[in-house]
Amino acid sequence: MRGIRAAALAGVVGALGVAIVPGGVSRASPPVLSGVLPATTAAAGFAQAAAPRQFVFPRDHGPHPQFGQEWWYVTGNLDDATGERFGFELTFFRFALKPPAAEPQAASAWRTNQIYLAHFAVTDVARRKFHVAQKMSRDALGLAGAQGSPLRVWIDDWTLADPGGSGESWTLHAAQPGYELQLTLTPLTAPVLNGDAGLSRKSDEPGSASYYYSMPRLAVRGRLTRDGQPLAVSGLAWFDREWGSGGLDAHEAGWDWFALQMNDGAALMFYALRNCDGARDAHSAGTWIEPAGVAHALRDQDVAIDVTDQWINRGRVRYPSAWRIRVPSLALEVSVHPVLADQELKVKPQYWEGAVDVSGLRSGAGLAGRGYVELVGYDRGTRAKGCHSGAD
Amino acid sequence: MISTLQAASLRHLLRHPAQLALALVGLALGVGTIVAVDIATASARRAFELSVQAVNGQATHQITGGSAGIDERLYAQLRKETLLPGTAPVFAPLVSGYVTVADRTLELLGVDPLASAELVSAPGAATDTSAAPLQTWLTEPGAVMLSATTATQLGLTTGSQFDVLIGGLRHRATLMASPQNAGAGFDGLMLTDIAQAQEWLGSRGRLSRIDVRLPAGELGAALFARLRARLPADLELLATRAVGRETFAMTDAFTTNLQAMSLLALLVGTLLIYGAVSFAVLQRRAILGVLRALGATRRDVLGIVLGEAAVLGLAGTACGLLLGMLIGRGLIGLVSRTINDLYFVVAVNEVTVPGGTLVKALGVGLGTALIAALLPALDAAARAPQLALARSGLERRVASWATRLAVLGVLLCAAAGLTVLGSGRSLPGGFAALFLLLVGVAALAPLALRALAGAAARGVAQSNPVVRLACGDIAASLSRTGVAIAALGMALTAMIGVAIMVESFRESLREWLVETMRADVYVSAPGAPAGPERRLEPEVIRALLAVPDVRDHSEARRAVAQSAAGSLEINALKLAPEGYAGFRFTQGDPARAWPQFLHGAILISEPLAWRLRLTTGAPLTLRTPSGPRTFTVAGVYREYGNDRGEVLINLAQYQHLWNDAAISALALYLAPGVSAQHAVPELRAAVHGRQALLIRANADIRALSMRIFERTFVITRVLYWLAAGVAALGLVSALLAWELERARPLAILRTLGLTPAGAAWLVLAQTLFMGVVAFLVAIPAGLLTALVLTEVINRRAFGWQIDLHLNGAQFMNALWLALAAALAAALYPAWRGARAPLARGLREE
Repeated sequence: MRGIRAAALAGVVGALGVAIVPGGVSRASPPVLSGVLPATTAAAGFAQAAAPRQFVFPRDHGPHPQFGQEWWYVTGNLDDATGERFGFELTFFRFALKPPAAEPQAASAWRTNQIYLAHFAVTDVARRKFHVAQKMSRDALGLAGAQGSPLRVWIDDWTLADPGGSGESWTLHAAQPGYELQLTLTPLTAPVLNGDAGLSRKSDEPGSASYYYSMPRLAVRGRLTRDGQPLAVSGLAWFDREWGSGGLDAHEAGWDWFALQMNDGAALMFYALRNCDGARDAHSAGTWIEPAGVAHALRDQDVAIDVTDQWINRGRVRYPSAWRIRVPSLALEVSVHPVLADQELKVKPQYWEGAVDVSGLRSGAGLAGRGYVELVGYDRGTRAKGCHSGAD
Repeated sequence: MISTLQAASLRHLLRHPAQLALALVGLALGVGTIVAVDIATASARRAFELSVQAVNGQATHQITGGSAGIDERLYAQLRKETLLPGTAPVFAPLVSGYVTVADRTLELLGVDPLASAELVSAPGAATDTSAAPLQTWLTEPGAVMLSATTATQLGLTTGSQFDVLIGGLRHRATLMASPQNAGAGFDGLMLTDIAQAQEWLGSRGRLSRIDVRLPAGELGAALFARLRARLPADLELLATRAVGRETFAMTDAFTTNLQAMSLLALLVGTLLIYGAVSFAVLQRRAILGVLRALGATRRDVLGIVLGEAAVLGLAGTACGLLLGMLIGRGLIGLVSRTINDLYFVVAVNEVTVPGGTLVKALGVGLGTALIAALLPALDAAARAPQLALARSGLERRVASWATRLAVLGVLLCAAAGLTVLGSGRSLPGGFAALFLLLVGVAALAPLALRALAGAAARGVAQSNPVVRLACGDIAASLSRTGVAIAALGMALTAMIGVAIMVESFRESLREWLVETMRADVYVSAPGAPAGPERRLEPEVIRALLAVPDVRDHSEARRAVAQSAAGSLEINALKLAPEGYAGFRFTQGDPARAWPQFLHGAILISEPLAWRLRLTTGAPLTLRTPSGPRTFTVAGVYREYGNDRGEVLINLAQYQHLWNDAAISALALYLAPGVSAQHAVPELRAAVHGRQALLIRANADIRALSMRIFERTFVITRVLYWLAAGVAALGLVSALLAWELERARPLAILRTLGLTPAGAAWLVLAQTLFMGVVAFLVAIPAGLLTALVLTEVINRRAFGWQIDLHLNGAQFMNALWLALAAALAAALYPAWRGARAPLARGLREE
């Protein structure tokens, strides 16, 4: 689902000024949202996610430069030997500023239309701290890039890779002041195609769609180094992949995305699209994955979500902060609570993405789990363009 | 009592507004010159600092290489490496060069906005200015950014398309943004994407530098050590601040010279104030005598005179500050043009008034006025009341002072000589000697005047009693005439000295150019002297050498290499046989040095030998891409083209060691009988449409060099005319006051039969006589000053040896100035002396 966010961020990248103007930081203007992008990318000759396609792995783990944007998204919950708990997020976004074209001969190696952006966040539950770092680089000189066979995505030393090429064991590395992650990820399931065999429509607009698959369970082992102290950690991660050239529809404000991993091996992904007036959009959708890996698509009307708490950030932006999710067709009812209220990524645009605990009932039996939730479009800056002029 | 004194003082000043005005003008000019030079140099320095900070201003360090730059793959590697676990130094690449738009040269900076954003922002915070959307920045060919000021100056608006010229090649650029509030540091900069800059500058694969932000404290020091150890041998890791300082320090000798010239104006101004204040005291000797007789204490009198001087000093300083700001604005243009001609490109669009300048101006203005007033004030206070009433007492004392002053003058000149000998290589020491010499000359002038006037009086005694009277009068009125002649003598001395120095320099340069420029036509790519973008395209070289009239050629590559003493300019040469004669050795034997040069030794120019204290046989270590290499200095040659000096190296060796095959310039020798005027169009036609090159005949380059030389000395001229102006004013005001006082003796002479015309001539003769005396004093003193300027100041500042060239014209300006000042001073008193009713003149005492 979060490809929309990639589109939103692409709008930001488009508006991102050049940092060489002194005092540029303080003169920041609100980033422009996705409205910018569909028009430009659709018109400028990018490929569109219009019909279901044949996915081929590991090739499709790699980049699709003919599309406007895409992302690689790993979130996970970790425990160390003493029971300390951590959440992490490492995301790579690719943006095409222009459709691929033949480079002129003898061009500088710095010439490229492709930009990579990455976010690395750590939730340190014991210390009740949330840390985020960002990297942005161009797809040039090996500074940043992506490839499919075998999988490798990187900016500088932040990488997600399948070094052996077998697909059985991936590595993840990222570092920010105070925290460094060096993890091995073992996929426990095959990729699960979301939406219509991997085609995920965000609105009735033809360009407003993406290709979207998930790997809902990856076993994690590795090392988290905190302030120079290495900690052995293990846990479970979720991998999301999406690419396309469109964005949100003008009347859509944002979304709440849930990726919940149940202790019995089942998993639930659902994104609730919100319109500018706050109502849920009918294009909201999700996937239920059984422990054996069998996937069932969920439509808007299949899932009911009630917000049971909220959190207000320093900028007085209200985020929902606890939920009750019911899926009557699955006889599923769970409560979702963040492990830490403030897991907001204070980047531009701001969004909330954090580790959560899950507890509830499935067919009358007790059920627990963990997961990640993403909340976009609550900060004015991340809201769709249409909301500013219209129903804001 | 005091209030009565003050009232008397005020009334006196107001009754003599002309005198008051002249004193103020003198002080204001002196202070103003100092302020102006301060403002001009500070503004240039500030503009330079801002331009250094404008891009990646948060960087604490930078990695630099020679002019060949840095392999860009190093940058990509550095970003992936962990130098120290848990630390993250921030790196940003930069490619720089020069670009010409219309006739303006700008610094072209190619940056990666994404990396630069990391440098300025806290981790995690995206940077956003909307100044130039990243999409345009990265994907629009030729997209550039200029400050709004620069864009306006070039007549460009956002979206304008225009041509830029880089290394002789024309490219199309589009102005994508011109931020209004970018800050003055952006003036004179053209920003573009790093890819675009590499393509335009022809430096694919290379970076000019890598900016680094290291944390402060111990961690930063540890990272610094790790990073330095990690870098290849030919690269350096330097603190950004130190680099800026070092770059601007190139202009030190230049700015020191300016400051010295401004001090000269003040020195002359001091004498002028001394004259004005002492006249004011003299004129009031009667009043002061009466006040003393009425019971005013010495302290009262001292206080009132010094108080007056203080008020005068403050008012003069205030005027001087205003004047200085006005002159300063004018000087900024001259100073920045010289810096651009000689050192680096700097665009000064803002006037910076350093806080220290105000304090300095106040101290100098007030201090000067008080010191100038002290002697007359002490004198007035020390006299017994009845003596103060008689002026003759003062004149007698002054006459005896003249001798003592002259002794002091001799001592000062001797001190100047000792300072030269004792101050080693110190430039301030050289200036100290120069000032001692000038003050010594000023001290000698009154005695010279008395002696010459006495001699003249005796010499013409038989023929003309009136002339004898006039000359005797000059000698007898030393209290006024002495100061005037001291100021004028000093100014004329400086003027003659500077004129000789400039002329000698010019002639030395001219001779050197004739000697050095052996080839008929010179071809170079436009750009900064050692800019890597100055590169002749290989097919262009082939086309040029294929022109039938070209008989032989030399090749040159200009570059920059790092040494322990900072970056040095390299001139790598492959000489045609005739080219060797173009070098005049000041150390070493050409017959031995050239073969050594061809086998790996280097030659260095005089300024470099001076600066680094190198002599023949000394080693010099340069960093090359393959590590440090030590070269032997085989000889030192004369070179005026570069005041920082250069290293001459065999081209083949340079190409091998620096892995740089490019050629910056060609010197072409034409077939016998072919004139350069004929060949230049032919050569231009051969490269037409390929590269816009500077193809110039020998004579044209010589003319251009001389033009730049003249431009460089414009400021010197402006400043010495200011000093001379102050002195001339001093002469006018002193003589005016003196002649006006002499209304009575003149009236007596008139009653004795002197015609009105005769009276006028008498006055004129007196002032002209003084002007001539000042000039005569200035001739030997000016020669000495010229020697100090060429042999001491210039040598210490730049290491140049300049042959002294003398001719009459160097003295003529000084003579004209002396005569003009004398004439101006005589006009009104002469008119009055001739026309005034006799009765009024006789009534005075």
